[in-house]
Amino acid sequence: MKLLRNRWFGPAVLTVLLLLAPLLISTYSTMILSEILIMGLMAISFNLLLGYTGLLSFGQGAFFGLGGYCAALMLQAGYQNLFLLLLVGMLISLLAALVVGFFSVRLDEIFFAMITLGFGMLFFSVAHNWLDVTGGSDGLPVFVLPSLNLFGTELTFYDPLNMYYLVFSIVLVGVVLLWLIVHSPFGLILKAMRENKQRVSFVGGNVQLLRIVAFAISGAFTGLAGVLFCLFNSMATPEFMHWSFSAKPVIMSIIGGTGVFLGPLFGAGIFFLLEQVIILFTENWMLFLGIVLVPIVIFFPQGVFGTLRNKIFREGAK
Amino acid sequence: MSDVLRIENLGHSYGKFKVIEDISLSIGKGEMSALIGPNGAGKTTFYNAISGHFPPTKGKVFLNGEEITGLTSHKVVDKGMCRSFQITNIFSELTVLENVIAPLIIQRGKHFKIYGNIFKDKQIVDSAMQTLEQVGLSDRADQVVANLAYGDKRLVEMAIVLARKPSVVLLDEPTAGMNPEETENMIALIKKLATGSGTTFFITEHDMKVVFSLAEKIYVLHQGHLLAQGSPEQIRSNEQVQEAYLGRKVHA
Repeated sequence: MKLLRNRWFGPAVLTVLLLLAPLLISTYSTMILSEILIMGLMAISFNLLLGYTGLLSFGQGAFFGLGGYCAALMLQAGYQNLFLLLLVGMLISLLAALVVGFFSVRLDEIFFAMITLGFGMLFFSVAHNWLDVTGGSDGLPVFVLPSLNLFGTELTFYDPLNMYYLVFSIVLVGVVLLWLIVHSPFGLILKAMRENKQRVSFVGGNVQLLRIVAFAISGAFTGLAGVLFCLFNSMATPEFMHWSFSAKPVIMSIIGGTGVFLGPLFGAGIFFLLEQVIILFTENWMLFLGIVLVPIVIFFPQGVFGTLRNKIFREGAK
Repeated sequence: MSDVLRIENLGHSYGKFKVIEDISLSIGKGEMSALIGPNGAGKTTFYNAISGHFPPTKGKVFLNGEEITGLTSHKVVDKGMCRSFQITNIFSELTVLENVIAPLIIQRGKHFKIYGNIFKDKQIVDSAMQTLEQVGLSDRADQVVANLAYGDKRLVEMAIVLARKPSVVLLDEPTAGMNPEETENMIALIKKLATGSGTTFFITEHDMKVVFSLAEKIYVLHQGHLLAQGSPEQIRSNEQVQEAYLGRKVHA
C-alpha cells in the first residue's frame, strides 16, 4: 500500500507498460497507441492553459497544424535531420503562439475561447486555401521520413514499431519537460493566476505577460505533437487546424481530468478506446461519443482519472 | 520629505459624476491612519485610484517621494504599496504556504523561472514562514486555503499583503464579515504588526469601534470630499463629522 501511494509509482508503471505494450499487442493497436501518445502530449500542453492557468483555448489546432506543416515542408525541401524538424516545428509554433497570445490573453473565459477559436479558423483558412504552399485540402504528403543514427545503427521509421518508439521517446521528453514547468516557480504562479488573477496582479505579477509566456509554451509543445503526427501520418492536412480538431484536447482533458497532470493523457486514451469500440458497431461514432461524454461530465466532475485518483488516495490516506 | 504616502488633489469621475474630488493628504512613515465615511462616500474608489486598480482622472499620488499616479497595480506593488480587498482575495485551491510564496516568487523576479523547486529555496520558504508566524497561521501552512474558516482566510490575505514587506499597507475593511471574536483578534493583530515595524498602515473601516481603537489619525470622507482630518478625539468632537456621519449613525 505504501508503494502504491508513492508519487513515482504510477508514472513508473505507466512508462514500463508503454515500453512493453507493442510486444503484447497487434501492429494496428500499436499504431493507435502512437496516436494516443501524440494526442496525449497535445492535450497535456493544452491543459497547461486550461487546468493550470485557467484559460480555455479553442485554437490549439493552429499550433498543432503549424508543427505538422513545418515538418512536411522541410521534408519536401530535403531537410531530413529529425531533431532539426522537431526544433523548428516547436520554434515556429512558439512564435505563432506569442503573436496569437499577445492579442488573446487580455480576454477571459468565453471571450478568450472565442478569440482563440477565431485565430484557429484563420490559420485553417490559410492552410486550406494557399494551394501553392500547403497543397490545399489535399494536404502535404511526406514521402521520405527522417532517419536516426543511433550508436552506429541507422534507424528508419517506416516500420510502425520503430515509429511507436520514436513517438514514445519524444512524448516522454515533452511530458517530463511539461512536468518540470508545472512544478517550477512559474508553474506555481500559473496556478495562482487560475485561482485569482487580480490577486496575482496585486502582489506584483504582470498577468498579461505571464499568460503570454504560458500560451507560447503550450503552443510550442502542441507544435511538437504536430511534428510527430505529421511523421506518423506521413502527411500534413488542413484538418489539423480545423476547429473540430481543436476541440479534441478540450474533450480529452475534460474526460481525463484537468486537475491532474496526466489526466489529459488518460483522457486521450479513453477517447481513442471509445472510438475504436464504438466504430465496431456504427459509423456515427461522434453521436455515441456525445452520449458517453454527458454522464462522464456529470458523474466524474474531476474527470475519470482525477475522480478515481482522489477516491483511491483519500481512502488510502485514512 | 518624511511623508511615505502623499496624495494631491485626487479626483475620480465617471462621466460627469464625480465620485471623489480634490482629496489631499499626506501620511508619515509608520503612521496608522484610517479613512472613514458613510456608504457611497467614495472610500473604495479612493483606494482603487491610488492602488492602480484604475488611474485617477485627476490629481497625483506619491509613494516614498516618487510619483506613482496611474501606474498599473503590479507596478504599484513593486514600488512598495500592497493592499487587501473588502471581499477576501486569495488563492483558494492553493495551500497557505503557497499563498504567501507566490508574492515572494514575484518579488525575487523568479516568476518566469520554468524549472526548479521553489520549496527548496530556503530564503523564500523561511521568509514565507516568518510572515505566517506573524499572522498566526504557521501551524496551518500545508492546508488548502479553501478548507479554512472565514476568519483564517482573512488572515491568509493579510499574510499575502505582508509577504513582500511593503512600506505602505492598505487594508480595505479588514474586519468585514467577521464575528466579534475574530474582529478582536484582527484588531490585536494589526496593532501588533504596526508597532515598531515602521510599516505604514492605512485602513478603511465601517466599524467605528475598530477605527477608534486603532487609528492615530482619522480622515473623514463625505460625498467624495475630505470633510475632516485629525486625531480620534478631534474627529469625535467635530460637529460637522457628527452631523454628516457619526450622528446619523447613532440615531440609526
